[in-house]
Order: sequence, then C-alpha cells, then structure tokens
Amino acid sequence: MSFAANLILASVRMAVPLLFIALAELYSERAGMVNIGLEGLAAIGSLVGFLVCFVTGSAWLGILAGALVGVAVNMIYAFATITLCANQIVYGMAINIFAPALASFIYRVYFGTGSELSQITLMNGIGIPGLKDIPFLGDLLFNQTPMVYLAYLLVIVTVIYFGKTRSGLNFKSVGEHPKAAATLGIPVTKIKYVSCVLCGALAGVGGAYLTTCYANTYTEGNVAGRGFIALAAVIFGRWTGGGILLACLFFGFCDALQIRLQVANFGLPYQFFQMIPYIATVVVLSLIGAKKAGPRAGGQPYRREER
Amino acid sequence: MKKVLAVILALTVVLGLAACAKTAAPAASTAASASAAASTSTAASASASAAASGDLTGTKDFKVAMICDSSISDGGWGAACYNAMVDACKRSGWSYEVTDSIDQSAYYESIAAYCDLGYNLIYAPGNQYTDAVLQAAEEYPDIAFALLNGAEDTPGKATNKNVSSLLPNAQQIGWIAGALAGLMTKSNTIAFIGGMELDTTLGKYKGYTEAAQFVNKDVKVLDPVYAGSFSATDKGIEFAKAMIDQGADVFFGDASAVDSGARQAIDEANKASGSVKVFDIGQPADLLGQNECVICSQVTDNSSLLTISMQAVEDGKFGGETIYGTLQNGVLSAGKMSDLVPADVQAKYLDYIDQMTKDTFMK
Repeated sequence: MSFAANLILASVRMAVPLLFIALAELYSERAGMVNIGLEGLAAIGSLVGFLVCFVTGSAWLGILAGALVGVAVNMIYAFATITLCANQIVYGMAINIFAPALASFIYRVYFGTGSELSQITLMNGIGIPGLKDIPFLGDLLFNQTPMVYLAYLLVIVTVIYFGKTRSGLNFKSVGEHPKAAATLGIPVTKIKYVSCVLCGALAGVGGAYLTTCYANTYTEGNVAGRGFIALAAVIFGRWTGGGILLACLFFGFCDALQIRLQVANFGLPYQFFQMIPYIATVVVLSLIGAKKAGPRAGGQPYRREER
Repeated sequence: MKKVLAVILALTVVLGLAACAKTAAPAASTAASASAAASTSTAASASASAAASGDLTGTKDFKVAMICDSSISDGGWGAACYNAMVDACKRSGWSYEVTDSIDQSAYYESIAAYCDLGYNLIYAPGNQYTDAVLQAAEEYPDIAFALLNGAEDTPGKATNKNVSSLLPNAQQIGWIAGALAGLMTKSNTIAFIGGMELDTTLGKYKGYTEAAQFVNKDVKVLDPVYAGSFSATDKGIEFAKAMIDQGADVFFGDASAVDSGARQAIDEANKASGSVKVFDIGQPADLLGQNECVICSQVTDNSSLLTISMQAVEDGKFGGETIYGTLQNGVLSAGKMSDLVPADVQAKYLDYIDQMTKDTFMK
C-alpha cells in the first residue's frame, strides 16, 4: 500500500479515540458545562476498561465499564458545578489530577510492578462483506472495529440531534441562555446533568477505546494529552459534530504524518517532524480566528433565583 | 450550606488524591511552592507506594530512596529500575522507598524530602536527574547519591564527592541486540525506536548499528525515531507499522512502554502474514514469552550496580566514581533465545557474545 494510503489509515486510527472525547466535550459545552477534566475521565475510563476486559475477556464489557466509571467520576464535577455552582474550570482540573492518580493506584494494587505489562485481547475488527474489498476505501471505512463505526454514527446522530430535533434545540438553548430556556419550561438543571452523564460516558469510552481497541496494554499516561487536544478540537470544529470530526481527523493526520515522516527519513532532524502537529495547530487557529462561536453561557453557573 | 458542601467535596478530592496518588502528590506540593508541604506529600506518596509494594523493612539500619519520572509499573525502564532496587535491598538488607511519575519540576523537591527524612542513599535512575542530584549533593554532604546512566564526568562535578554514576555500557547493550538483529534479518533492514534522544539512547543505537553491520555487511539500519515520551504505546504501534512498511524485520528499542506498542504491532503484522517473520529484541529485562515476536532480550542487571553502591555506603567509601556495568562484570547479558532463532544462528550469536565478553569483538 502506498505511503499516502497508510498515512490516512494511521490518521483514522489516531483520530477515533480523540473523536469520542471531543464529542463528550461537545455535549457538555452545548449545555454550558465547560469540562476541562476530559483527560482525567479518559484516564480512568482507560484503566477500568482495561481491567474489566482483562478480568472478563470481553472488550465490550470493558467499553461499558469505561463509560460507567466516566459517568461516576463526572458526577463529582456535575454535583459541584451544577448543584453547588462551583467554578467549572477548577473542578475540571481537580478531575484531571484526581482521576489519573486513582487509575494509577488501582493498576498498581491489582497488577503490581512486574517487568512485563499485562496484555488483553483487543476487540476484533468487523469487515462489511463486499464493501471491505474496495481498494483503500474498504480498509478505511468498512474494515474496522465496531467502535469506529460507532464513532462515525455518533457524529451523524449528533449533527441531526443538534440541528434537526426539538430536544437538541432545547439542549443548545441551555448553553446559550439558560434563564430564557427556563422561562420556556425547559428543565435546565436536568439537561445540564444529562450533558454531564453523556460527557462522562463518551470520555470514558474514548479512554476505554485506547486499551480495548487500540493498544493491548495499559500504561500510565496513555491518554497522552488527548483530553486537552479534544478541547481544541471542539473549538476548531466550531461546536458542531461535522466540524469536530474534521478537526479530529486533522489532529490525527498531523500526528500520523510526523511519525511517517520520521520513519521515511528525509535527512532532516527528527525534531522538525515532531513540531508538525504544533505548527499546524497554530496555523489553523490563526486561520479560524478568535471569534467566539461557542455557547454563550459556557462556564457560567446557573442560579435559578438570580436575576 | 452550598459553600460548606463545596469545601467538603474539594477536601474529599484533595485528600483522596494525597492518599491514592503517586503521580500527582509531588506535583501538587510543588505547585504549592512550599518545601515543607513537599516533604509531607512526597512522604505520603511514598507511603502509598509502600502499601502497593509490600515489605520495605530491611534487616540493617540503612535505607535507600528512588525517584523516577516514569511509572514503576510501566513494564519497562521504571519497572526494571524499581525491581533492581528491590532486589539489591533484599540482597543487602536495606529498606527502601520510591516516588515515581514525578514532573521535572519536582525532581529536586522529592530528593530533598528524602534527604530530610534521613535516607542514606538516593537512587536516581536516569541522566535527566543530574542537575537535581548535583544540587542536592551539595546541600546534603552526608548523603550518597547514585545516578544510574549518569555521565562519566558527573561524579567529578560534585564538590562533596558524594555522587557516583552507575553506567551500563550503552555500546555493549547495542552490540548485544545488534549482533542478533544482523544475523536474523532476512530483508536486511532493521529498526530502532527511542523514547527521547538521550546520550545513552544514542550510544545504544550506535552499538546496535556497529554490531549488526559487522555480522552482516548488507544490513541497513533505519534512522532512529523518537516517540518524545516513554509511555506513548500508540506511537510505538504507529512507528512499528511504518517501519515494517519500510521493510524492517528486526526491532530493538530504548523506549519502555513505547516498545510494548511496537511489539503489539509486530505481532499483528505477523498474524496477518500467517507466520512470524518480524522480530523484536526486548530490553532491559528478559522479556522472552511476553510477545510472540520477542526472540531474545538484552538484559541489564542494575541491581548489581546498586548493590556495589550500597556496600560502598556501608563501608563509608561511597562517591566520586563511575561504576560501569559491562558484559565482563556480568551486569549486561543476553537473555534466553526463542525457538524462532535457528540453532546455527544461536551458535554464531553466542560466539559473538563470547567475543564481546573477551573484548575481542570487531577487533
């Protein structure tokens, strides 16, 4: 297969976990909940997904457990920021510190400190008969794990939900102007909690994907900043499902490109290639501009009685 | 009431963190910029480690503390260095503690915390701790500092002569892997994956290239690639896939968990092709059997180096020297070989190892 085809396949592999985590943030931010704790949610999802898959042998149960633990941990954030109206950034950061440390602690208690990493069997890919044999596109779109199909499907569902359904518009209104939404009878607090459940579940799934569908081992720090890149992807994607898909593919492409270029060796220092994702981020950010397109009530606590 | 609940919740998170976290506690205390707090939380995190790692009490009144920026459960460098300390302590009757996954900004604070707690020896497994060790060595003249992979000239820079470098011979490490890679490659293309561009990593790559090209003149060694991290398993997967596309069929690395990602990708490639045609040489422990593709390992017995340091501390003779780890003194060795290595290749390889041990290799 050609350099370009391999590069695109690698881009998709690297983009999928990011996509789950970025969609998590989209659902959160659309209800006005700026959650910077994605890194922590993905880290605990990654560990619990791995652990459950290791014990049960089922990657699907691992994914489910990752989602559940993501929800559970995110409820700390939800309770503090929605019910207690605490600062969202502070609690997001607390989750980022707390959850990876908890994951590391659980891993060490369970697996110890041996010189070998425990391994699990990854989720099998499912090729769609007929379509998977199409040159290049078959491998790219129709010969992946079910989680990749689920990620694509989630993007479509998200686009339709926020753009075409009354419920989605209600959801968005909570992030734009919660008081106005409340006057129309929209249950603001409930929607904010629902957004946190979705955010925790998707970020947990994103983390669990890393250990049940991508790498068959768990290592501390395996989320590797994806929680923060996902935040950037939501901004790049202008808070839309389609935009986020493109942003994640872009980030995945940049990372895959620097890896492939390092290996191809064009006689340039490797640091030059490692800079590519960062340079690309700066360039795209400058092209997109600083104009805020996100939910207007993002990050603000909602106090029902307050004028 | 809400404020009270918020404070309780915040305290729960912070206390949970102090109780559970090895990763975040030193970082959190550094952020607080209070050395007393740093001492406390480092000790707390070391205690958390104690809970996870079992009996830490030695028979003698000597104790060693290890600091590490990677995790000691990474299945690679951190785990190997930690287990080396545990083995050395069992052998010498010392007690031990560890703080791992610390940020660069917490190197010095973590070391100083252990010095304040009266540890006899600080064990810092990596060249990256040199500045922090030298600073602490100047401020704590009665404490010994062992810097694994430290530079040869580092002990001379310590004014109190209380620093020793423990230096496994990087060239020989590369030779041990390179000779087997050169003998086993069918495509005559071999690969090397690094975590960071450290001096020791470059030394290993150089030795790997020299030995491979000595035993097989046609071998092409792909330029080293760097993941920029020792925990990015996914980068290991992608690097290995890309290098297999370039024709590489034997891999060696110096990148901890990144290497385990590479081994996963190699196993997948072998599974797809229906036979094991791409191989990996593990390090620094004997990893035979961990993955199907592992045909042998380059083994480094850091515990021997540490035992020598501990003995020197007990005898009051520690410091100011570089203690080398070589094939000759048994610190370095080749691990067991898999059945995938044909008998004639095994014989040739062992002959080369013998030459390396007798210092006649490539001469």
